Amino acid sequence: MSKTTEVEKDKKRSIPASAPLMAFFVGLFIYFSVASEYFFDIENFRNIAVALAVTGIVCIPGTLLMIAGQVDLSVGSAAAVSGMIMANMVNKHSIAVGLAVALVFGLTLGIINGFLVTVVGVNSLITTLGGLATLYGIALLIGNGQTVMMRNFEWLGTSQPWGVPLPVLIFTVIAIMGAVSLRKSTYGRSLYAIGSNPNAARVVGIRSNRLLFITFVLSSVGAALAGAVLSSQLSAADPNAARGLELEVITAIVLGGASLAGGRGSMFGTILGLCTIGILNNGLILLDVPTFWQRVAQGLMLIIAVSFDSLRQKLNNQRS
Amino acid sequence: MNVDLAQLKDIRKSFNGVEVLHGVDLTLAPGEVLALLGENGAGKSTLVKILAGDIPPTSGSITIADTELARLDVYQARQLGVRMIFQELNDAPSLSVAENIFLGQWPGSKGFVAWGDMREKAREILKRLEVDIDVDAQAGSLRVGERQILEIARALTQNAKILVLDEPTAALSNAEVERLFIVMDQLKKQGVGMIYITHRLDEVSRVADRVQVLRDGNSVLTVDAKGAQREVLVTAMLGHEALKNARPAAVTTSGNGLEIKNFSSGDDFNDVSMTINAGEVVCLFGKIGSGSSEVLESIYGLRPVTGGSVHIFGKEFKPKSPQESSSSGIGYLPADRQRLGSFASRSVAENLAVASWKAMSRLGFVDAGNEVKAFSRWSDALKISARRGPTQEIATLSGGNQQKVLLGRWFEAKVQVLLLVEPTRGVDVGARRDIYDIIRRQAKESGMAVLVATSDYEEVVLLADRALVMSRGKIVSEFTGNSVDANSLISAAS
Repeated sequence: MSKTTEVEKDKKRSIPASAPLMAFFVGLFIYFSVASEYFFDIENFRNIAVALAVTGIVCIPGTLLMIAGQVDLSVGSAAAVSGMIMANMVNKHSIAVGLAVALVFGLTLGIINGFLVTVVGVNSLITTLGGLATLYGIALLIGNGQTVMMRNFEWLGTSQPWGVPLPVLIFTVIAIMGAVSLRKSTYGRSLYAIGSNPNAARVVGIRSNRLLFITFVLSSVGAALAGAVLSSQLSAADPNAARGLELEVITAIVLGGASLAGGRGSMFGTILGLCTIGILNNGLILLDVPTFWQRVAQGLMLIIAVSFDSLRQKLNNQRS
Repeated sequence: MNVDLAQLKDIRKSFNGVEVLHGVDLTLAPGEVLALLGENGAGKSTLVKILAGDIPPTSGSITIADTELARLDVYQARQLGVRMIFQELNDAPSLSVAENIFLGQWPGSKGFVAWGDMREKAREILKRLEVDIDVDAQAGSLRVGERQILEIARALTQNAKILVLDEPTAALSNAEVERLFIVMDQLKKQGVGMIYITHRLDEVSRVADRVQVLRDGNSVLTVDAKGAQREVLVTAMLGHEALKNARPAAVTTSGNGLEIKNFSSGDDFNDVSMTINAGEVVCLFGKIGSGSSEVLESIYGLRPVTGGSVHIFGKEFKPKSPQESSSSGIGYLPADRQRLGSFASRSVAENLAVASWKAMSRLGFVDAGNEVKAFSRWSDALKISARRGPTQEIATLSGGNQQKVLLGRWFEAKVQVLLLVEPTRGVDVGARRDIYDIIRRQAKESGMAVLVATSDYEEVVLLADRALVMSRGKIVSEFTGNSVDANSLISAAS
């Protein structure tokens, strides 16, 4: 046997990380297309995309963090606070001021998270779990627990330049930037290295703390932007609108093949995971399944995905 | 004693349709030590894993204590008294020494641990091993060599009848090795059969009764250990005659590369001074705890420096952090490859290129093609065998190949000073030769200064242009040229 054929054979045999999810996605897509006459429709796809854009904006920096072995649970509450800030500022001052203050809030939160994790050395799960609770409280405090209505700020969430909804456009730009930097930049490669072996990353001279700090800032800024988009879509800021966002984000990322332990994952996988959640939610609605089932389905999907991934790794390990 | 403790007959094993063991026999009598030799990939690990029930054989029979078994699982193997001691540590670093010795089988009743009892028993066992380790210390705070001894102590508490030792001495100092051999002699008297996997041929005649050599999945030689000639064993392992175990050709080097003066770090070492020429390979020989590896850690910025100075090619360098050091042209290869060296889930190409990303990138973007190019540049020179090419995960390579990738990492980064700690720990004989050749050739070609901390005197003989011996935190003697030999090194270090 020549050497090249052996290499090719091995390549063919190893199961790509995203193959099972891809199969599941295609299966689900075909099923809904057959089961519901409304599913396979360009207008419906647009709805799905709009529904996903907010989560997607948070998923991109979330994937960067997860690959580096970190997690940010504060994104849902951060989006809520950002929305409340928007609503107050838009009503009192202007949209520009509102956006600026919301993004500054995201930046500040990211700096705090990054500081606590990289300088003080608190575990990121705990740090951001604290952030989740604190910020949710702050969101409630700002609006006194009420939904705050907004005037004249629909464009960010609802305008459609060249027929594409603006949130989808924003998400696409961020996703491309995220994917390119993850695959091609020293920053992205370093995140993989940090997640794969933080000690070795330090020894080899990667400035791990600095890079993690930056990534936490990106995550919070992404959450703040997502909160602004969401409030614009709703024409109102609701402290509960982004509840559970962090779970949806983590589900999409883990479905996409990222490992909670870090070192594995890809932007393509995350986006595929996101789309799977999107068509599942949408399809269940179209089939008149009570909305509570969406939560059940999403949770089960996460468990199945993780189990599948563990099995796949076991198989791959056995063969080598 | 006619009855064998264990008998493996005509064992075949295939992975993925590729047969890696082609009908191997192995027997082990009570109170016998069988040394199992072979290069990485020869099938030693697979064979002992089959004996331990880790993996089932494709065909063949296993007989343990008169019971013939077609299939053996891990629990059954444990029940029958088979215990494995691995080269990699399998302990719980955050638990105490005593807890680690009795890991999972803590003495006590009704679910409560009898602490006093356990500590007492732990002390007894450690005393039997003649080691001075505090039973209340955290296992993670101990040196690798000491933690390895805990693993052996644990097997002793579990009534092992067949003990498989997979390169247990790779991380031990000479005194600790001798201590282990004394313990093994005791176990022999108690009728324990041992399979001893090693890469150190000099240990074979000291400790083993019989030697079995595997090559490419076949058993090629089984002889009495006492009369076994070193050359015969090496030839059997390699399939061809090996080079003489001689000093490398002398090379004259000049120009100060790395210069350290009155270098100190707390209690670990003090007043260490040396100068390494450009292109020179200097070995800092010392037992674990002598301070040799600590000197390298301090130069690289991993350990605080309390005094002295470092100059690199005439320029003063203040060790601050690994980041600072690596960007100042210093490379560092740690002894603990898994924990500090390799990125297990990443590809070999990435693992090799990681220290050169800055140089390979433009505006912060790396071209993956450059990584692959870097890999193919070094995979030939370093004889790295990665079956699946540059994208293969490094964790799936043998220890020797992983080490070559990590060496290539610093060659590719074109470092001026290369610091290596135990560069061939857990690496088989063939790959070891390769690695020595590569280090020496690369040093001469690129003019980098290479400092190696090692506790393996054979390594010093084969690798060093010059040897410095450390003991108790100080440099005690220096050998050059043909005065570098095993005997003088060992006597100087102890």
